Amino acid sequence: MADETVDVLIIGSGHSGGMAAKVLTEKGISCLMLNAGPVADARKDTELKPAYTLPFRGFMQPGVLPHVFQANEFNANTWVDEKEVPYTYDPAHPYNWVRVRLFGGRSLFWSRQSFRLSDYEFKSKSHDGYGDDWPIDLAEMDPYYSRVEAIFRVEGRPYGIPQYPDGNFVPDDSPWPQCLQRFVDAGKKFGVPVCKARSSLGVNGLASSVNLLLPDAFATGKLRAIPNVVVRSLSVDKNTGLVNEAHFVDRISRREMSVKARVVVLAAGTLESTRLLLNSKLANSSGVMGHYLIDQVYGPGIVASVPEARDGRANPKLTGGAALIPRFRNIDSKAKDFIRGYALNVFSHTDPMDPRNFAEYGEALEKKLESYNGSGFTTGMMGEVLARYENHVSIDKTAVDAWGIPALRIETHYTDNEINMARDAVETSIALAEEAGFEVLSKNYDPNPPGYSIHELGTCRMGDDAKTSVLNKWNQSHDIKNLYVVDGASFVSGGWQNPTITILALAMRAAEHLAGQMRQGSV
Amino acid sequence: MRRRDFVKGILAASAAVKTAMGQQAPASAVAPVAPGTPPPVATAPGPVPWMRGLLDAKPLPMTPLVADAVAASEGRFFSQQQTATLRRFAEVLMPPLKGYPGALDAGTPEFLDFLIGASPRDRQEMYTEGLDKLDVEAKRLFGIPFAQTGNWQADQVIRPWLRSWTNDHPPTQPFTRFINVAHSDIRTATINSQAWSAVAVAAGKHPPDTGLFWYPVDPDLRREMAVPRQELNKRSS
Repeated sequence: MADETVDVLIIGSGHSGGMAAKVLTEKGISCLMLNAGPVADARKDTELKPAYTLPFRGFMQPGVLPHVFQANEFNANTWVDEKEVPYTYDPAHPYNWVRVRLFGGRSLFWSRQSFRLSDYEFKSKSHDGYGDDWPIDLAEMDPYYSRVEAIFRVEGRPYGIPQYPDGNFVPDDSPWPQCLQRFVDAGKKFGVPVCKARSSLGVNGLASSVNLLLPDAFATGKLRAIPNVVVRSLSVDKNTGLVNEAHFVDRISRREMSVKARVVVLAAGTLESTRLLLNSKLANSSGVMGHYLIDQVYGPGIVASVPEARDGRANPKLTGGAALIPRFRNIDSKAKDFIRGYALNVFSHTDPMDPRNFAEYGEALEKKLESYNGSGFTTGMMGEVLARYENHVSIDKTAVDAWGIPALRIETHYTDNEINMARDAVETSIALAEEAGFEVLSKNYDPNPPGYSIHELGTCRMGDDAKTSVLNKWNQSHDIKNLYVVDGASFVSGGWQNPTITILALAMRAAEHLAGQMRQGSV
Repeated sequence: MRRRDFVKGILAASAAVKTAMGQQAPASAVAPVAPGTPPPVATAPGPVPWMRGLLDAKPLPMTPLVADAVAASEGRFFSQQQTATLRRFAEVLMPPLKGYPGALDAGTPEFLDFLIGASPRDRQEMYTEGLDKLDVEAKRLFGIPFAQTGNWQADQVIRPWLRSWTNDHPPTQPFTRFINVAHSDIRTATINSQAWSAVAVAAGKHPPDTGLFWYPVDPDLRREMAVPRQELNKRSS
């Protein structure tokens, strides 16, 4: 029977686990990675199919994945089935927990939007008095962001706007299509910056742990990995108080196993890492573990049409492309009924219009669709959700997953701050679109359920005070110094930004700290 | 599904190569038995190994037929009256246009009977109550069931409830929600039908809504099947 003690055990294989593995193994440290799901290979696991050949004509099997709005009948098998891995919530306040357990995790499927946090997020309390500051700032994070941006080949254009920090970009010198230039000009009239978006180009279109991080780690010969094992709990050495063992179950056979480790790095995703620690009853002397769950408001926005692009007149000079309106509220002035702010994703579409934008049917609808084809213009909100102690997760002892592991209960809801912010986002979108001469066809003020953004953050927040935070500023447990949590659980506030680049930079920084600690013999 | 079945066939056969077909393996492939090696897995009794020959079988020269090409769905969920209402509703909202089939040609009402019958209760109730109300409205306005309305009459019943809406946020008022969600469902079921696809393909176009379908990603033996099929055949011959 194997009785090995691995140097570093990494639980999770997505962006954060992949980054930790890359950094540690390149420094000569041996790592073992555990992942709850199988290795996917799109060449073997997929096939191009028309919807009519699917069992439900593209509608998806009824009742399956009710909280994964991103799911469809084509990709349904890639998401975690909540019947297999359930979670509970108050029916009046549902939560969309969107999960992928394939090797590489959610890094396989993400929007590539790559934004740094600014000091309006890192030092948000200092700016407006609400919540808490992070124990780090943008200057501290800048070198890590730059290195992550180089690995992920983030394309962007610098603007010198403090709330939209510039970075180490692949230059984006592309001109604005005419319709977006009109939107930029409309923004100037309202004092709203309309900028080029920033996104990870990756390599061959993929910007994932499985092609940008893990191959480097495996190439060192220092990384081993076990797919299809679900970690049940961690345990500590009673003499030292250090974490020393992970207990896991084989996903298929259900054989219970354990592995010893000198260091454990949690990278299973914010809520799974938190669930594992709560089930293990570890690292929570502060009592704040599970609290301050945050995400981002998605859903509100508008659909408009560029009149000049209708009736076959759409062309690449006029339409196409994307823009981003970074947060502009509560920077130099105060919004009347909310704090913090939101960004707007802006897209000019060259594809057919969604028929739901027209209150028509039959031949009249077909004529509308034909006329408006290629003229679509949309905005979508990405809004900050305030970190609140009462938005939290805990272990629900009444529910277990397919392997008997107690499930998570998620209790969170939006408040007037998010609702008022959403209204402002839609009204601003309408004002700018109309100023640009576009026809607004439909609008939505209602946020999607919390969780929809797939940006859950904050349930093991970092801080300088061990009494009010779970992790120190190095993503290291205050209570257990050989335990690190490198996914989004460490966030103190979430801002409006897609958190991926920040998670990667934090994971890089934490792994380098860990390597230094191990070199010094401190861990 | 042909690819899937083909792969499964290979898997089943490969798993049994060392046992069921062991007697066919070349002598050089037989490794010395190490001390403590467990006995071979028992095979089913019989004069001939059950899996013999499968590895050499060529895939059948068939293209699986989608049942909709030749068969009709049998309605099981909606009442007779609701079915008649749904058929008229679908016919009005999605008539045949530009050579493409309408909802009735695409078997959409029958497909929706199946889909809604398999759906959670709230979706079922939205449909059944919505169809009943369509009938009530037609009788209130014109004294006839919705199924018997002419195009102008049907328009008078439907149009006041039409709305524009964005993805994931249909109208919340129950009947308005039904009219608009059912309209969207009828369009999708029709455009994603085999009948629509056949017309598109005949016109030299791709079938609508063609996408990358993910099979269940399990830790199956396929991943260890890096050995080409020819190599497997060679080993088992």
